[in-house]
Amino acid sequence: MRKFFPVEELARDRRFNQITMRDRMADPRSVLNGEDAGKRNNNRLVPSRKDSGDAARALMHGIFVGEIQALEGAGRTCHDFETANGAVKAGDTDTVPFALKLDMARQAWDEARHVEISVKLSGWMGSEIGQYAENTVLFAAACSNDAVLRLAGVNRALEGLAIDVFTQMKEFGDLAGDPYLEFCEDWMLADEVTHVKMGSDWLRRVTENDLDRRKKALEFQSVVDKLFSYGGTRSDSEESPIGLARRFRELAGFTDTEVEEIAEVSMSALNERREAVEKMKSAAAQLVDR
Amino acid sequence: MTTTVMPETFRYVSFDSAQIRAVADSLLAALGLRDRDVRIEVDETTPLGRTSVRVEDDGTITIRAESGAFEDLRRPREQSETAVATSLGRLLLRVRDRLSGGFGEAPPDDELSLAQLAAWEAYCVGRLERLGITTNQQRWRYNFRNRHGFTDVGDAAFDRLWSSEGLGWGELDEISRTASATAAVTSA
Repeated sequence: MRKFFPVEELARDRRFNQITMRDRMADPRSVLNGEDAGKRNNNRLVPSRKDSGDAARALMHGIFVGEIQALEGAGRTCHDFETANGAVKAGDTDTVPFALKLDMARQAWDEARHVEISVKLSGWMGSEIGQYAENTVLFAAACSNDAVLRLAGVNRALEGLAIDVFTQMKEFGDLAGDPYLEFCEDWMLADEVTHVKMGSDWLRRVTENDLDRRKKALEFQSVVDKLFSYGGTRSDSEESPIGLARRFRELAGFTDTEVEEIAEVSMSALNERREAVEKMKSAAAQLVDR
Repeated sequence: MTTTVMPETFRYVSFDSAQIRAVADSLLAALGLRDRDVRIEVDETTPLGRTSVRVEDDGTITIRAESGAFEDLRRPREQSETAVATSLGRLLLRVRDRLSGGFGEAPPDDELSLAQLAAWEAYCVGRLERLGITTNQQRWRYNFRNRHGFTDVGDAAFDRLWSSEGLGWGELDEISRTASATAAVTSA
């Protein structure tokens, strides 16, 4: 069976249309944002938002395709690397401990269940499989040749984001009185905390004698965290649709310092967006003046 | 009578103003509003999907739509004929309801509560479906449930709105109020 599967060749049927992060960033509307640019102070996904139903449906579909890619990523990590004979030596990026593979297999099992739950929830909320474009950036983060970078990028950064997203959706279901949404998100959230914890534990154990590798992995995680905070989608600010679930991140093994670093990265992404909006606005004003 | 779409040519999205105009004309004919001038202003600088409608003093119907309201969600920045028809159809039906009488007591659009708006949307989209426009009933049911609670009484209210023709504001508002009141009792 083929190893190190490229993101461009993920198997999907005709219902799906895949886009990349580059495509998303190339959409000028996400920066311009019409009359709202820089005005809305509260974008948090709550039922009292006028567009909350559609926003929640879109987010649920994003969760669904994210779960598919997380399943594919965890499955690839089981297969792409040889099983280490004893402890992993410093500089060895070709092997991983058998117990790590076992954890990835367990995660794949969880993700498969999450895919099924997300499909049901999408139908319940009134959307169809493939109704929204699928951003493949999650699997892209799972394509590294170094398993430790995958743990940092996928388990810690992306599954960490999943903790934030599920917490937000759980609260949404609770406030709206949607019994299925609240219940399902709560159960999936518990799994995500475990996935992040597995990533944190293995990152520390595998790089115990290879601090340079650990440093690179944490840098990669920071890049992925920032990428997924693009446009300020997730941060402590009420301007972001998704908040930072500090308590669950703590349970998942993040230190206070690490949570603060993610908060800073997220706020930095939000501030970059604000600056981009201001630049666009002044450029537009100059055009009008001419 | 004329239908105009602004802008005529789009810069940030791959929309076709002629197709938007054609969908609008088809709806106006089906809804008996062909005697009205219609002006559709699309804000292509935002991916959001909010819409609004106003009847001007000279009788012109002015519709404002953010580009997300007409967008194919599978293919960002491309137009969806179904989305155009559903977005315009809901607004035009609301206008027709107000113009045809029976909705004189309805608050202005920007003063409708979220529950009232969800109820009116259910009533509009049900009628659009019977005109042959593709809809996903579950989407609108979910929207209604979010505003009226997840109860059997709420679902029955939605079904009544969806299948109704010729409702007045008083009946519509009463259906919405009853569903909301039941949800409040259930959750108490």
